[in-house]
Amino acid sequence: MVTTLATSPASLHALLLLSDSALPLGSFAFSSGLESFLGHRKQPTAQQKSKAFNIFLDHSLENLASTALPYVLSAYHDPSVLQDLDNDVDASTPCTVARRASIAQGKALLTIWERALSAAATAEPAAEAVSAFAKAAKSSKPDASGLQLINGHFPPLFGAVARALGLAEQETCYLFLLNHAKAMLSAAVRASVMGPYQSQAVLASAALQEHINDLIRRYKGLRAGDAAVSVPAMDLWMGRHELLYSRIFNS
Amino acid sequence: MSNPFLSSASKPGHGTIHLALLPPNTPRLKTVSYQYPLKLISPSTFHVPDDESRLVHTVYLLSYGGGLVAGDTIDLNVILETNTRLVLLTQGSTKLFKAPSRDVLTKQCMTVDVAPTSALCYLPDPVQPFERSNFEQTQIYNIVPAEVGNESGNLCALDWVCNGRPANGENWSFFRYGSRNEIYISQPDGKRRLLLRDNVMLDDRGIEGSIAPRMDGQAVFGTLILFGPLMRSLGKFFMDEFICLPRIGGRKWDSGSDDGNGEEEVHPAVARRSTRQRLETSSGLLWSAASVRGCVVVKFTAPEVEIGKSWLRTMLLEEGSIRTMFGERAFLCLR
Repeated sequence: MVTTLATSPASLHALLLLSDSALPLGSFAFSSGLESFLGHRKQPTAQQKSKAFNIFLDHSLENLASTALPYVLSAYHDPSVLQDLDNDVDASTPCTVARRASIAQGKALLTIWERALSAAATAEPAAEAVSAFAKAAKSSKPDASGLQLINGHFPPLFGAVARALGLAEQETCYLFLLNHAKAMLSAAVRASVMGPYQSQAVLASAALQEHINDLIRRYKGLRAGDAAVSVPAMDLWMGRHELLYSRIFNS
Repeated sequence: MSNPFLSSASKPGHGTIHLALLPPNTPRLKTVSYQYPLKLISPSTFHVPDDESRLVHTVYLLSYGGGLVAGDTIDLNVILETNTRLVLLTQGSTKLFKAPSRDVLTKQCMTVDVAPTSALCYLPDPVQPFERSNFEQTQIYNIVPAEVGNESGNLCALDWVCNGRPANGENWSFFRYGSRNEIYISQPDGKRRLLLRDNVMLDDRGIEGSIAPRMDGQAVFGTLILFGPLMRSLGKFFMDEFICLPRIGGRKWDSGSDDGNGEEEVHPAVARRSTRQRLETSSGLLWSAASVRGCVVVKFTAPEVEIGKSWLRTMLLEEGSIRTMFGERAFLCLR
């Protein structure tokens, strides 16, 4: 499948910024359950380890696409409902570790937005929605029942920021999933699953591209309210990350 | 207004359970109506052992033939008025029979209105989707917050699914299985706010046998949702036990030699905990617990249904509050 990327120079610029691993989101601190997954099974040989990783990467992308992509797209199409989407992502993430990781990266994205990206925004309504959300997030207090009104989850914010910076829908989806794959592969290198060249080979492979495009095709039309876990074991690995004896990642 | 005649739900698969409170303090099943293929049975009520004034009602959710065939639609409304307690049970696993094609969907929807101070205990048998079945279910819990104080409704709800009939070679071989649990809190402005959503969708995307590789070799996945002041103690128990689980990848310095040494006095609960933890490890049961947004959500998976069942029963009995509040019968599906 051929994907048309970056039509205007401005959106290409934004695309490159958001895909940069130097973007201070702190994604390197999260392994999205990989560390816990490896801890749960002892893979004796390097070959078995890397085979297990490849399966895990597929499942992790699948689960991310089914749980988070609908929120990315909903916020992309209507940034004004950011606060509702934030509440619903929070309600749909009954896993302490995943929740913490999502909020940490969402808050980081809000900071980058306020200090750097907002000045470069091209799409006015989306930019205003993100700025208003950032402002509200700072003054958010728990309500009477102790429920935080705004948490700042990553997926909807990413969609809204991408919209504000003029990215196309397809680019936004692709970037969201590719960034996840990059973070996972970087985690795999640091967890000694594979070397840096092997990791780049996975990243560059046609299989990964096809997988991401396939996921976008399948999950693009899903309403945010229908976002669902497609790999149930993922929740358990993520949740049990807290039980690891030693940890190098935050998730 | 109470209808003196037996009410009949005219739509197939529709049912209503209305547990009302007769003044001053007598809960009564005001309505139990159902239509084929749904069947509801309410055995006699009983008093919980520790509180003679407290009446607990039980309703069995049944379907004719013990399962749902392709295209069946169940739509059940449950209303709990203040100060009532209801135990919802099934009789055996909910079997899902095969569908002629992917277009024929079997659906089950349950909506429960939980009034302040009422409590629902829903510990059913697992759903058992046969090969080529096509099923989606939704459980919606509407919580009305108390006008004064903090005595909201209470909920203990289990949702679990197994891999089919492993004896017949089935292993997650259905077309589609979806299950959604949602808790909504009514707001003063009439709207409702989503408090919790636990949504699982397993779809083979037209490729038979494509679900099993995603299931990590396990045969059952379950979610237990706890909400409300009456469930606080049980929720805390799960959270505490989760924290006490042995570290993964840590060296077991204390294993072996000192076992059976009568000198050290070990608290019986601590001894039971370590027995349970050893059993979890050897049987391959994995679980996690999270306390989010006022709910405690426990997820577990096991390589056999019986392992999951016995683990959950052990955990609930160890803490004890479900038995105290709802009696022995609440555990019927976990035997």
